[in-house]
Amino acid sequence: MASFSRFCRIFAGAQMFRGLVPVARTAVLLLAVAATAGAQQYPNTSFNYTTEMNEAVTHLWDQLLFWATIVFVIVEIGILYIVFKFKARPNSPDPKHVHGNTALEIAWTAIPAVILAFIAVPTVKTIFMTQAKAPANALQVEVIGHQWWWEFRYPQYGITTATELYLPVGRPVNFKLNTKDVLHSFWIPRLGGKRDLISNRTNYLWMTPRDSMAMKSLNGSCNEYCGSSHANMKFRAFTVTPEQFASWAAHQRGPAVYGAVTPQSVPAATPAAAGAAATTRSGQIGAALADAAAPAPVGFIFPREKLDPSSLPSATPPSSIGFTAGLAGDAERGQKVYSRSSCIGCHKVSGNPMSAGVIGPNLTHFGSRYSLGGSLYENTTENLVRWIKNAPAMKPGSLMPAIGNGEYNPAIKAKVTMGGLSDQQIADVAAYLQALK
Amino acid sequence: MATTVAPPIYAPAAASASTYGEKTGVWSWITTTDHKRIGVLYLFTSLFFFIFGGLEAAVIRAQLAAPNQSLVSAELYNQLFTMHGTTMVFLAIMPLSAAFFNFLIPLQIGARDVAFPRLNAFSYWVYLLGGIFITLPIFAGLAPNGGWFGYAPLTTMAYNPGLNIDFWVLGLQILGISSLAAGFNFITTIINMRAPGMHLMRMPMFTWASFVVQFLVVLAFPVITVALVFLQFDRFFGTNFYTLTAGADPLLWQHLFWIFGHPEVYILILPAFGLVSEVLPTFSRKPLFGYAVMVYSGILIGFLGFGVWAHHMFSVGMGPIADTVFSLTTMLIAIPTGVKIFNWMSTMWGGKLTFTTSMCFSIGLVAMFTIGGLSGVTHASPPTDLQQTDTYYVVAHFHYVLFGGSIMGIFAGIYHYFPKMFGRLMNETLGKWHFWINMIGMNLTFGPMHLSGLLGMPRRIYTYDANQGWDLFNMMSSIGTAIIIVATLIFLYNFFTSLKSGPRAGRDPWGASTLEWSIPSPPPEYNFAVLPNVTSRYPLWDVTDGHDLSREHHEGHENRDDRVPTSRELGIPMPANTFKPVMAALGLCTMLGGMTLKHVNDVAFYVVVGGGATMLVVSLYAWLTSPLEESH
Amino acid sequence: MSATAVEPTMAGGESHDAHGHHYTSTGLDNRKIAIWAFIGSECMLFVSLISTYLIYKGKSRVGPYPHEAWTDPATGETFKAILNIPVTSFSTFVLLMSSLAMVLAHNAVVNRHVKRTTFLARLEGNSFFWLMSTAVLGIVFLMCQAYEFTSFVHEGLGLTTNLFSSSFFVLTGFHGAHVTAGVLWLFTLASIDKTRGLTPAEELKIDLCALYWHFVDVVWIAIFVLLYLIK
Repeated sequence: MASFSRFCRIFAGAQMFRGLVPVARTAVLLLAVAATAGAQQYPNTSFNYTTEMNEAVTHLWDQLLFWATIVFVIVEIGILYIVFKFKARPNSPDPKHVHGNTALEIAWTAIPAVILAFIAVPTVKTIFMTQAKAPANALQVEVIGHQWWWEFRYPQYGITTATELYLPVGRPVNFKLNTKDVLHSFWIPRLGGKRDLISNRTNYLWMTPRDSMAMKSLNGSCNEYCGSSHANMKFRAFTVTPEQFASWAAHQRGPAVYGAVTPQSVPAATPAAAGAAATTRSGQIGAALADAAAPAPVGFIFPREKLDPSSLPSATPPSSIGFTAGLAGDAERGQKVYSRSSCIGCHKVSGNPMSAGVIGPNLTHFGSRYSLGGSLYENTTENLVRWIKNAPAMKPGSLMPAIGNGEYNPAIKAKVTMGGLSDQQIADVAAYLQALK
Repeated sequence: MATTVAPPIYAPAAASASTYGEKTGVWSWITTTDHKRIGVLYLFTSLFFFIFGGLEAAVIRAQLAAPNQSLVSAELYNQLFTMHGTTMVFLAIMPLSAAFFNFLIPLQIGARDVAFPRLNAFSYWVYLLGGIFITLPIFAGLAPNGGWFGYAPLTTMAYNPGLNIDFWVLGLQILGISSLAAGFNFITTIINMRAPGMHLMRMPMFTWASFVVQFLVVLAFPVITVALVFLQFDRFFGTNFYTLTAGADPLLWQHLFWIFGHPEVYILILPAFGLVSEVLPTFSRKPLFGYAVMVYSGILIGFLGFGVWAHHMFSVGMGPIADTVFSLTTMLIAIPTGVKIFNWMSTMWGGKLTFTTSMCFSIGLVAMFTIGGLSGVTHASPPTDLQQTDTYYVVAHFHYVLFGGSIMGIFAGIYHYFPKMFGRLMNETLGKWHFWINMIGMNLTFGPMHLSGLLGMPRRIYTYDANQGWDLFNMMSSIGTAIIIVATLIFLYNFFTSLKSGPRAGRDPWGASTLEWSIPSPPPEYNFAVLPNVTSRYPLWDVTDGHDLSREHHEGHENRDDRVPTSRELGIPMPANTFKPVMAALGLCTMLGGMTLKHVNDVAFYVVVGGGATMLVVSLYAWLTSPLEESH
Repeated sequence: MSATAVEPTMAGGESHDAHGHHYTSTGLDNRKIAIWAFIGSECMLFVSLISTYLIYKGKSRVGPYPHEAWTDPATGETFKAILNIPVTSFSTFVLLMSSLAMVLAHNAVVNRHVKRTTFLARLEGNSFFWLMSTAVLGIVFLMCQAYEFTSFVHEGLGLTTNLFSSSFFVLTGFHGAHVTAGVLWLFTLASIDKTRGLTPAEELKIDLCALYWHFVDVVWIAIFVLLYLIK
């Protein structure tokens, strides 16, 4: 034990490390700032007190970090000390051949074991707490992973949507996780608790966003590698007040208020969309929409000015997709083109009886979304027309084929000729889709 | 004890510092069965793959240096990260360790060769051919693209119909056969080929670490073999192991893979631990502190390594009970690992430390591996792991373990054993530059990844959006990678110039303690002219205990004879050079590799697979019916 | 403790004993150690295969099933429980008997020097006969397996039918491949024995094959119990 007490004395009286204290303090401070900084700078930080779940997890993390820091400092300072202290010097005698010290070795087997016990107990507690059954009053949200976009269903409200998730604060939300194809992983870092989507299995994850989280736009991502566009499988979660949620949900369950309001994000489509609003009701197919479209006001939509900068995608389409400049889309024409095109094979627009596909995202309220293509691009006319024209060029591996005339379609390994859409037709379809609020 | 005898010398000295025995020329290397030559072949091949894997990483980091970049396409990026992982694990770190197994184990236990010299050659050639097979497709854009742990069902025909995954499945099967053959060989060698008196508890630490690793190999590889056979049958013959529509459970793959995959982690790190355990005592001038505990902790790590696999799967929803069990077993592993760290520090405590490059890398391992170990403990806790898994935090963690641990240890080993392998010393000044630049580069690359991960960045993404708060950390990581490349270039320059013109090393340039330092550098093909009789754990130290190991005395021995006598002159029967293992390896790889043709052309498939199988059987028959040694 | 920690013991040439064997630490031949390592590895292989079968047991979405009848809801066709326990019990018995023959073959080689006069004693000492018997019993087992596989296919259970069929055929197929390799090994030994007679000094050759053969036999017992007997 003699050498152990020597260890202690040396650490207690290590004069040479006094100078390092301010440096270490600054380093820890910087780390702490980086790790817990505000949402503005680090919008996806995993350290939060925003749900009961991530509060428990963050507390646990704090304990782990505390013990890890102690061990880290002891080992690293120990190494530095040994390196300086026992450096070979001229005439220093050969060291004694010590083969070991049982007491010491028992000590540094036992001490880590005790530290691990300190970690293990809260760990096990938190495991059982976070994996408990969700409360009965929880909002049920079915999350369905697709290569490479997210589908969200609210069975209690009869809503099916994609890419943008609305969550009321103060109410537990229970995510039911399934995948249509390969494995994915559902994660909203600010709310906490990643969970994989496993084929032929169902996973659950629940949490309660705090009231203080109202009016936040949060980012979510896929975390299990799922193929070409794994990186582009993102989504948004908007935390809103219960009243806002009720308004949103009431509107979402029905068909779109076709062309009621022009979204701010699609300036290029403004004249056409406004025109469409006036002409729709007399349109052929528009007749089917008449009931829903007539008087109903648009429900709550997360206001654009409250979006976190990180929630508006900054990616720009590849320059290889050209598009005729200055074309004005017409939503009424667009609706007709859409309803005759291959779009309807995969997409559903409630209220448009021709469009009942279930393979692609539900587009019923597409105009109310801020991003498209799995939150890869902002939902602007410029991006949308190019997306319709050639989705695979916009998003690697996209299962949506290129449908612009003359574009190369990797699915059939040829250029689109028969049944392809002209730029004007695409502009019209885009106007129609963006009018679906 | 009070004697002044010189350390024992078991073979006459070599005059030339560049030969291995009497045979020279390319053909002698292709047909060699000499464990030292095979070790050297492993070293060069795996260094090549290490560079190749590093270049893949360089492209990855260039792509991620800033948001929304499109230097490479998503498809190519996915192939690059898959191949970076596969290359570094199976083609670089494992065979770099194998280079040391081959070269060192017989020397350390006082044997003339491994138990099955021709099987050893077979292992190497299978590794080389398998490595080429799995690496080449990237030049055609057909490289594996399912990630290095290839989770089903992404790797099944339904979601990945190209040849990419076929190359991966078959390549890994080929490499697995190489590892298994080497595993049986080294287990037998260590159990059965030790010199008289070389009890298990006198074996050098590196041999002990390797011993544990070989058991991990022979017990873990069959499991991935089965997982791969299932995948292969699914892809080639339409079985249903991972077919979702038939009701398959994707977790089957994950369990099988990680039952292999976690022991694999220890297969990668334990040899580096062993090398460091050789270097630290040598340059502390002190025996390893707590030898027995180091042995037991190594065994315990290997044993526990089979009971923690599901900690890779905390996010799949196994339920709280399973999460708890695997969390606790994982935490337990931290204990023997911590013991190793503290014992290394105590080995240095009170020593007389000389900071050679190999010593610097060894201390670097202790310092850096600790960081990887501690971040590992944060993963052992499932609730926090759920915030970290599949983010860059995990990437940071395993790079501190594998780069800060395995690679640092292997560099320590290369600097330490280079003189024994090639008879010349590496340049120490360049070595120090390499060490410090490497150290800065690795911390700049992998340190910020902790933060980008904790700040929400998923792994395996080919690009990321701006405004996510990750730009700075990614730029730092990319700059760090450039620094690592500079360090590696310095290393390569040093390695190849020292090979040609480094100063002659002599038997024992470091004043080390174990048997391999008692024979010339490079050792003659028979290693030991007389088999040693070992009576101590540190045979070369205990002989001169407390006395100055006089260099002059040493030189005196070296000058006694200018020429190494051949095995023939000494009447030592050595394994003959043979081409049969190469042919068998070629046959095996043709047979397995040819299976990719199933999806291309049926006739070619049967011709190539049949041809390969015939070649394998014929050369195996010739091999098994011919004697090992030349008749004298 | 002696003054030197190491001292030369044997000159190179002397490390061979009278029979030309290398010095080994345990006194056992290298191949003996290696085959045990190999068998340990093989255990993990079969444990993985059997575990997979058990994990997928009862998870098949369509029949035929191993232990219960199944009616295809689409066609109304009925399939009976597929496993044929009597045939497999017979083949299991055959394989067990082959292990007995293997033991007798080993015994015959080791006790080559024993003088044998009666017919039975001569039979007991006829290593070629016992080696061939082992191999032939192995072939009978393989024929039973071939019969089983073909009848399964006729009854509508192919390799790709369901989870059960995939895991069943791959597991038993792997075992069958091991038996085949063992049979080839036995024939090789038998032909050596026929041409020049295996000597007691070559006991190891039989010993290695016997270890392998018994291992393959034990694996089959596990398969028979877990797949066939336990419903």
